[in-house]
Amino acid sequence: MFQATALNERNRRVEFLFRVLFGLMTVLLVAPVLIILALLIREGGPAVSFDFLFTPPSDQGRQGGILFPLVGTIWLVVVALLASVPIGVAAAIYLSEYAPDNLLTRLINLAIINLAGVPSIVHALFGVGAFVVFFRFGISILAASLTLAIMTLPVVIVSTREALQAVPMAFREACWNMGATRWETIRRVVLPNAISGILTGVILEVSRSAGETAPIMFTGAVTFLPFLPAGVLEPTMAMSLHLFTISNSVPNMPDEIKFGTALVLISMVLLMNAASIAFRMYLRGKKKW
Amino acid sequence: MKRRTPLMSVILLTLACGGAGDRTVIQNRGSDTLVNVAQAWAERYREIAPNVAVAVSGGGSGTGISSMINGTIDIANSSRAMRESEIASAREGGTDPIEHIVGYDALAIFLHPDNPLTEITLGQLRGIFGEDGTLESWSDVGVSVPGCQSDEIIRVSRQNNSGTYAYFREAVLGESEFKLGSRDMNGSSEVVELVEQTPCAIGYSGLAYATEHIAMPCVVVDGGACVTATVQTAVDGSYPIARPLFMYTAGTPEGAVGAYMDWILGPEGQCIISDMGYAPAVEVDCG
Repeated sequence: MFQATALNERNRRVEFLFRVLFGLMTVLLVAPVLIILALLIREGGPAVSFDFLFTPPSDQGRQGGILFPLVGTIWLVVVALLASVPIGVAAAIYLSEYAPDNLLTRLINLAIINLAGVPSIVHALFGVGAFVVFFRFGISILAASLTLAIMTLPVVIVSTREALQAVPMAFREACWNMGATRWETIRRVVLPNAISGILTGVILEVSRSAGETAPIMFTGAVTFLPFLPAGVLEPTMAMSLHLFTISNSVPNMPDEIKFGTALVLISMVLLMNAASIAFRMYLRGKKKW
Repeated sequence: MKRRTPLMSVILLTLACGGAGDRTVIQNRGSDTLVNVAQAWAERYREIAPNVAVAVSGGGSGTGISSMINGTIDIANSSRAMRESEIASAREGGTDPIEHIVGYDALAIFLHPDNPLTEITLGQLRGIFGEDGTLESWSDVGVSVPGCQSDEIIRVSRQNNSGTYAYFREAVLGESEFKLGSRDMNGSSEVVELVEQTPCAIGYSGLAYATEHIAMPCVVVDGGACVTATVQTAVDGSYPIARPLFMYTAGTPEGAVGAYMDWILGPEGQCIISDMGYAPAVEVDCG
């Protein structure tokens, strides 16, 4: 019915060109992740076994498995969560539900954003000064986990605040009109509706803590400890530091152990992220609004 | 071994569901040259004293010494002696570092296996690595290296808080500085790995890091014989670039730290260090 004009043709070509261009950029973004994973699975896959996960390293990691660093990373992450989740969620509730929109609140928000931008090695130095030396925790899980907690607080605060703000204002207003107090409203209405977003932030924190090396290497993680840690005041081995050590300072290190360790570490992080996405989708599906 | 305030411990032990029990943790940190030996000691010591856990960390001699100064560790590993200024600041902080020589390390010169050079003089090393040195290409040294088209000497060195770096400067370069533009690696095995794969390269590191894929020229002591780096030549002092390896304890070692140091300097500990390619500090017969 309509004759395609030269202009229409041109527009369509330009449209096609940009679609392909942007599509390629997206592929470019995903490709490195896939290549890294494929390489790790090919080189490290054969080394990963039940025994590898549940045997302590020996002969500087050339033999045995990764039990001690694996358990150490779990210690570090759990203790970091115990510290950062209560503080982070409480701070986010204050900022979202109580704080008036004034200069002070805006300064606090600015500080949180800046805290997120501090390089992890600076957090490490802060951790040494504050937790290892000043509070006399020594080189210990506690010092390392608190350093990780401070580093990941902005993630928890920002994601929790966003989850809280996504709860429609009308819910709160309806609740207040029934005579509920601010805290009752938060507890019974806002938090239950925001829990999926909060958990996403928490899981993101876990995956980031598990992969970090700099904040723990001077505060609590050690190259080698011949035992599992027995408490939070002891140092521990950790996956990220173990990988760093076996890849750069152990001569004649079998390649498949290095790749296998990297594979386990990256799988931990990816599994955690996938769990977070799946969980969020499940809770989203249950939402009635 | 670090003492904490009792109240804090009570709170934290509750947190830790049972806590550390009667186990003693010895914090041992420092030199990347010693870190492998330190790990081997810690691993074996688990069987000797099951209630003592030795936590070992690398990071470089400088890292170990500064941790000793700020009082967070029990034993610092170092591949160089502590400087006067470092000892002074440790004392200011209430720690009196006591020096123990636990072994000797020959610094080997590493070349790519295709490099035909079999002997090198200290003067040549100064010419290659020193800031006033004029040796820039392999033809300046008098060899042609197959696979090294550019003929340029690629110098592989260490990061500047490394004790290996500091000792090489002291023993080879004397008063002068390193020439700029070297590849500075963060670990001895990284040096070896890079030299293994680079025909144009020359590097240095502890003998214990040598692999079968690397060439080691013998080193000519000024006007004398050419000496190969071995445990034997490091022990008898004929190899010119051999250095003592130190452990520093906070004060005269007592208790668990004392027992550990005694064990390290005893026959079993010394045989472990000698098995790993270092010269022992005391004469031992390891069979």
